[in-house]
Parts: sequence; structure tokens; C-alpha cells
Amino acid sequence: MLRLIGRRLLLMVPTLILASVLIFALAEVLPGDVGRSILGIYATQEQVDFLNHQLGADRPLVVRWASWAGNFVTGDWGESPVQKIPVRPTVMKALGNSLVLAGFALVIIVPLSILLGVFAGLRRDSLLDRGITISTLSMTVIPEFVSGVVLLYVFAVWLKWLPVTALPPEGAPFYERFYYLILPAIPLMFLELGYIARMARVGTVQVLAMPYIRTAVLKGLPRRRVIFGHVLRNAMVPTVTVIGSQVGWLIGGLAVIETLFVYPGIGKLMVDAALAHDLPMLEASVLMVAIIYMLANLLADIVVALLNPRIRMGG
Amino acid sequence: MTDEQHRIDYAQHLIEQVNKGHMTRRQLLVRASVFGFSATAIGSLLAACGGTSSSSSSAAPSGSAMPAPVMGGTLTLIGPAPVSEPNPITILDQGGIVMVYQFLEYLIDLNNDNTLKPKLAESWTPNTKLDVWTFKLRQGVTFNNGQPFEAKDVVASVERCLDPKTGSGGAKSQWGGVLSPGGTVATDASTVTFNLDKPYADFPYTVSAGNYNAAMLPANWSGDILKDPIGTGPFMLTKYDTKQKGTYVKNPNYWGKDAQGNQLPYLDGLEYIMVEDNSAQNLQLQAGAIDCQPQTIPQGSEALFADPKLRVDSYPGTGIREVAFNTTKSPWQDPKGKSLRQAVAYCLDRVAINQSLYVGKSNLGYDTFWEPTVFPGSPPSTPRAQDYAKAKQLLTDGGMPNGMDITLTIAKYLNNPLLAQLIQEQCKPANINVTINQLSYTAFYAGGADYYATTPWIVAPMTIVEWGSRPAPGIYAAAMLLPDAVWSSSHWNNQEFLTTFNAYESTLDEATRTPLATKLSQIQQDDTPIMVPFYITQLRTQKTNVYNIQGPGSFYCDCTAAFKTA
Repeated sequence: MLRLIGRRLLLMVPTLILASVLIFALAEVLPGDVGRSILGIYATQEQVDFLNHQLGADRPLVVRWASWAGNFVTGDWGESPVQKIPVRPTVMKALGNSLVLAGFALVIIVPLSILLGVFAGLRRDSLLDRGITISTLSMTVIPEFVSGVVLLYVFAVWLKWLPVTALPPEGAPFYERFYYLILPAIPLMFLELGYIARMARVGTVQVLAMPYIRTAVLKGLPRRRVIFGHVLRNAMVPTVTVIGSQVGWLIGGLAVIETLFVYPGIGKLMVDAALAHDLPMLEASVLMVAIIYMLANLLADIVVALLNPRIRMGG
Repeated sequence: MTDEQHRIDYAQHLIEQVNKGHMTRRQLLVRASVFGFSATAIGSLLAACGGTSSSSSSAAPSGSAMPAPVMGGTLTLIGPAPVSEPNPITILDQGGIVMVYQFLEYLIDLNNDNTLKPKLAESWTPNTKLDVWTFKLRQGVTFNNGQPFEAKDVVASVERCLDPKTGSGGAKSQWGGVLSPGGTVATDASTVTFNLDKPYADFPYTVSAGNYNAAMLPANWSGDILKDPIGTGPFMLTKYDTKQKGTYVKNPNYWGKDAQGNQLPYLDGLEYIMVEDNSAQNLQLQAGAIDCQPQTIPQGSEALFADPKLRVDSYPGTGIREVAFNTTKSPWQDPKGKSLRQAVAYCLDRVAINQSLYVGKSNLGYDTFWEPTVFPGSPPSTPRAQDYAKAKQLLTDGGMPNGMDITLTIAKYLNNPLLAQLIQEQCKPANINVTINQLSYTAFYAGGADYYATTPWIVAPMTIVEWGSRPAPGIYAAAMLLPDAVWSSSHWNNQEFLTTFNAYESTLDEATRTPLATKLSQIQQDDTPIMVPFYITQLRTQKTNVYNIQGPGSFYCDCTAAFKTA
């Protein structure tokens, strides 16, 4: 197991380097050059050249990347040229907020979707199966800004059961944050529930068809033991992998939800930075999301390995 | 002639103009306030005209009887975040203006009806030539760090704005050709003299909140507004969370008192919640989480109008969407460009645009910033009506008989995208194909080291630029349409307009000013360097228990005497 974790961590190093190159390239190279990105299409070439020189953007690409990556590793993430604020605390605070929202959403989504998926798989082709499948898939197709607005109107404006924003007042106890996160977590649940439940259902159906399950049933094992001892354990492997891949999106891809619920997360920070050509903020934010995404996948790999001895043993 | 004789003569002149029917009583209020008459003196003038002496400038919005002020509480405002660091020297966006307005003050403030209200200046008078203005400062005012506010701070604040290194657009737009570095002199600790480059009858507006970069800061200010938010205003900025929230507490040493002698502000504090999305803002208002939305966009806000818990106040506004033709770029250059500009103007159905964008709540535009119900000297004609036959003829006159392809560059901000789409649709029948180049707000207003030579809103061939209410037509002209105007998206260079404008600003004689004003608007309408499809009625939404928020052009949102009842 330790070998597996060590191998995955080692693999993260070249992956991160590649990710940093891509992020850097996308932010600084693809739209033209940095000076042109900031000054716009109407600037003269002299003005662009001057700004590039001021920003150090006229240095060779490799030198610029090495300087940026080196500063990132040493914690010197620079200052936003647009907002005149340090990048690192801003990104870390927004990332922390997003982690709380994503974590809270996952706490609701994961058990509920697995429960629904397994139930549907165990009752394959029944009315329950069809009901779960149709309802969860229907929720998945509703865009989050639609479900978000409707939920806000019903629960915050009309019924006044829940707050209209996702951030509690300053000084509120930490647990109160979760009360404020209920409403924004629901559109996320709508989006993820159908997907993860479907994976859990497919996994359950596939495992149920395996010879070892038939053997266990024919041996006379109680149904509960068959399900919890054999079906769930094996059916969860693809589901956990999918959950791991969704964590990155749940942290970095929630700009719409964060805007609607006035939540200062990293998704909105990245969008604002991209729109304002705030490259230091954008690059640091995206790289942090990439790191979180990799860690989430590592965690998923570990869980899968725990569920599946063949992987754990290096098979 | 002595200053006192000058004042008496001008007062007599204003009374005569009203009695002869050349001026309305409202215009008398405006002009008297510009000249620096006190509220009492203005009341006497109105009485001399045969009316009541009460001014409506600070009256409560219609439909809301004003209860006795309530002390305490925190008022929550909502609006967009400042585009960048809210530096008062350079701000030009709603978020930045609302942010700094709460803790900084100007020599003069604006009432809801655009009349001037003494603030850090108690009085001001011009010389007879109107090129020297003397301001007497309020005594006993201190900055929120305890430092006294004096004439040297005024000089430093003005000079800081005039320094090209600070990049103050407001100073450039309002003082360009009017006030030069060195022209502001501290005569003594409480007197400042402005020696202008030319006569300027509307000069007081340029040191009012109408010039939002002209806020008064200490002479020894560090230049960093977030580290040193030092002002004389009713509130103090205690926390600034970028793109999230500004938090203020009341300034306990604020100089202001109400008519009963109560200490202002009434509120204990303010919060400015930064939310870009209009729907999200409206939902927060409806949910009761917010007390006031300084700027309400009618379209998409119908639910607010019908909500019994909210009150939407409206004020006659001079704010516009300037659809500018860059007269230095193809195809808008003269001589043929004029016909082509007019052709586009004749394609617009202003009634439909007003209905679509403002639920019919705004006034139709005359293709001039000279809003006829607010500014004196309205255009003699009616707004241009849609006329495709005329548009096609003008296209032919402009050498484009088969129509033309044009690009309209806009910011994705407020209702600009919808306006652009309407222009696109309405131009099609005349074979004018409009391509919309939609940029983000920040990209549209971004620029390089030589900002005004690079930013899209100034250099693109055709743009839509949003202008908040301006209190005087001269402010618009100086900023937007004079040949050296710094915010000229049209780059219009019309010498007749310039000469007429200089004559208009060189006299206080209303019998002379009014026909000159009409001529100015006529020149503008005819030459069509810009299209003005409508004049925006200002809407401000607040809870029904919120009272006395002041400031025209919702950007300002003066909460000095605002209060909330239970």
C-alpha cells in the first residue's frame, strides 16, 4: 500500500510540472504575448514591447516559466497587478472556501447517490429502479443557474427558511457555515446525484452478475452479508474513481454557483482573474485547483486499492 | 464691481429671468446654487419670484412620508465590485465610486435634483469674468485620523489629480483647458482661490461630487487608499475584502449635524456587498438581506417594482448610453461620415428601445447629451423617429448605396448587450450589418501605459459607453465632446461647437445662455458624433423602512442622513 502511495506521489511530480507548463502556456502564450493581452488589440507594438519589458515578459519562455514555477514553489506568488493585493493569501482563502463548499456538498451527495444507485441496482428494472434513474437524471440536466435561482426564490425569498447568501456574517460560529451552505449545495447535488448514482447502479448490476456472487448466494450466505461483504465492496470501485474525478470540478468549476450565492470561492476568483487579465492570480489559482484535483484522485486511488486487494498488492 | 454687488446683480437677474418666463423656478434653484447662494438666500430669491421659499432638493421621495430619524443600525448596500483597486484619484466605475463616497467628501455635494450643496466648502463666489473662483472652507472639519482639514489639503488634492503621473481621468475630463497645475492657491488656512485658464460659469460642478476624482484627501496622504482610507466623510472604511465587501463604521468626529442639531450620521455603520450579477442582487433585496440597491436596472427587475416591502425611488436623470461613432475611423470620417452616422441614427426605434431596456421608464433621446427636461435649452425638434427611407438616402449620400458593414464594440455590462442587439436588428432593414464585438467590462475599459491611446472604449470605431448622470451639460461637453475631451469616444472636432460652448460658459446671463444651449444641442444632434437613444431615469431600490438616502445619479448614494426604522 505504501509503495502504491509512494508511486502515485512520485507520478504527481511530472504531472504537476506538465500542468504548470500548460497553465503557464495557456495564460501567457496562447492569447499572443502578455503585453498584448493586457494592452488590448488597439495598442501600438511599441507600447506592447515596453510593457513586456517592464513585466519581464520579453525574456525567453523557459526562463519565465522557471522563474514563475520557482517563485510558486517558494511561496512567492507575487501581487495582483489589477487589485494590488498579494496573490497567495487571496488564492488560499478562496480555495479554503471552495473546499468547505465542495466538502459539504460531497457529504450529502456521496452517501445519497451510492444509496440510490445500489438500491436501483439491487432492484434492477423495477419501478424503484426506473423512478430513481429517471428522477436523478432529470435533475442532472437542469443547469445550476436555473435550479439555483428557483431554489433561492422558493427557500430564501418566499419561504425564508434558508439564507440568500452562502457566507455567514463575520464572527458566526464555524458550524453555522453549514446552514448557509445548504442552499448552494442542492444545485450541486442535482448535478452530481444522477451521474454518481448511475455509476453505483451499473457497478452493482455488474457485480451481481458475477459468478462469485451466485456462489455466495448458492452457499446460503444471508442476503445482507452478500450485499455488504461482496457486492458493495466491488461495486464501489468505479464509483469511487468517478467521485475522485468530480472533486476537481466541485472545487474549481463552481463560478456560477459562487456568483449566484455570493460565495467567494476559487471558481469565481479564476473567472474574475481571467476577465481582468490578472495573470499572477489566474495562474496560481488554476495550479492550486490542479493540485487539489490530483490529490483527490490520489485519495480515490487509495480507496480503490483498499477496496480491491489486487490493486493494493500491485496486481 | 465688488463681489457683493456682483451677487446682488446676479440675484436680481435670476429673479427677472423667472418673472419673464425665460427660466423655470427649478433652473433658478440650480443656477443660484452654482453661484454659491446659501439655502436661505435661495429661499429669498424664490419668495421674490412669488413662490414659497422651500427647496425641494432634500425632500423625501414621493410616496414616503419621512418619519423622525432613528439612530443606530447598519445599512447594507449592494452593487458591483470596483473594477480595480478603489483609488479615488482614478476611479470611474460604479463600484469604486460608491465605495469611496462613504468616507471621502468633496468641496461641494449634489442634491437629488442636481442643485449644489455646500459640503467642505461653506461658500464660493466668482469674479465678474468668471475665471477666478474663491472658496471659503468649513471650519472645524477634521480627517478621520484627527488631522485638521485645511486649504493646503484642497490644493494638494487638486494638484494630485492634475498630475499626469496619477492618471486621474476625472481631472483630465473636467479640468482640461480650465484649471492648470499651480492654478489652485491657498490664500489662507480656510480660503482657496481657483485661477482658471478661461471663464467657466459651471466651475463649481467640477469640484463637486460630480467630479468623483476630486475628493478631498490630506496633503500628506500616502497614495494607498486601502492602507490609508483617510477622509472627512461620515463613515470610516474599516475593512475591504476585495470583490466581496466593504465595511464601514460611523465617524464619531464627523462635522455634520442635522437641522435639529443631532450628530450625523444616524447610522452606526454601512456594508457594501459586492455582487456583479443583477439577478443575484435582486434576489438578495427580495429576501430582505439587503437594505438598498443604489442602481436598479429596470429590465429584469419587475419583481422589485411589485414588492410591497421595497420602495423604488426615481429621479430625473441625465445618464445616457453614448453610442459613439469614432469620427477618426472608417467609415465615420467626414465629410461623408456625417451622412452615414445620421443614417444609423434614423434606423433606431427609440420607443421600442426604451420599452425593451427600461420598461418605458426612461425618456426618449435626442442624440445629444442635452437632456431637455433637466438642462436648459432643449433641442427644438422631437427625437429622431425611425425612418428607413431617409436612412437609405443618407447611405447613398455617404457613398454606401448598398449598405455597409460596421462593428459595434461593447462591454458586457448593464443592458449594453441588449441595446447592441436592438441596434443590430433595427439597422438590418437599411442594409446596415452590425457585428457586435462584446468584451468583458474589464477588457472594454482596460488599457496600457498610454491608457487613452489603447483602451477599446476610446479607440474602437463604434462603441456603447455608459455615462452616469452628470449635473451640468458643461461637464458632459468637457468630458465627452470638446476636441480635447479626454473621454471622447467619438473624437469629434467641431470648432463651431467649441466656440459656442466657450461663449456659453463665459456668461451668467441666462438670456444669453439659453439660446446658446439650444444651439449647442442642435449642432450635436445634426452632426451626430454620438447617438443618445434615451435618458436614463435613475432608480434606487430600498426597503420601505429605509429613508433619506441622497445623491443624484445613483452612483453617489449619500448615506450621511440615512436611517432605518424598525
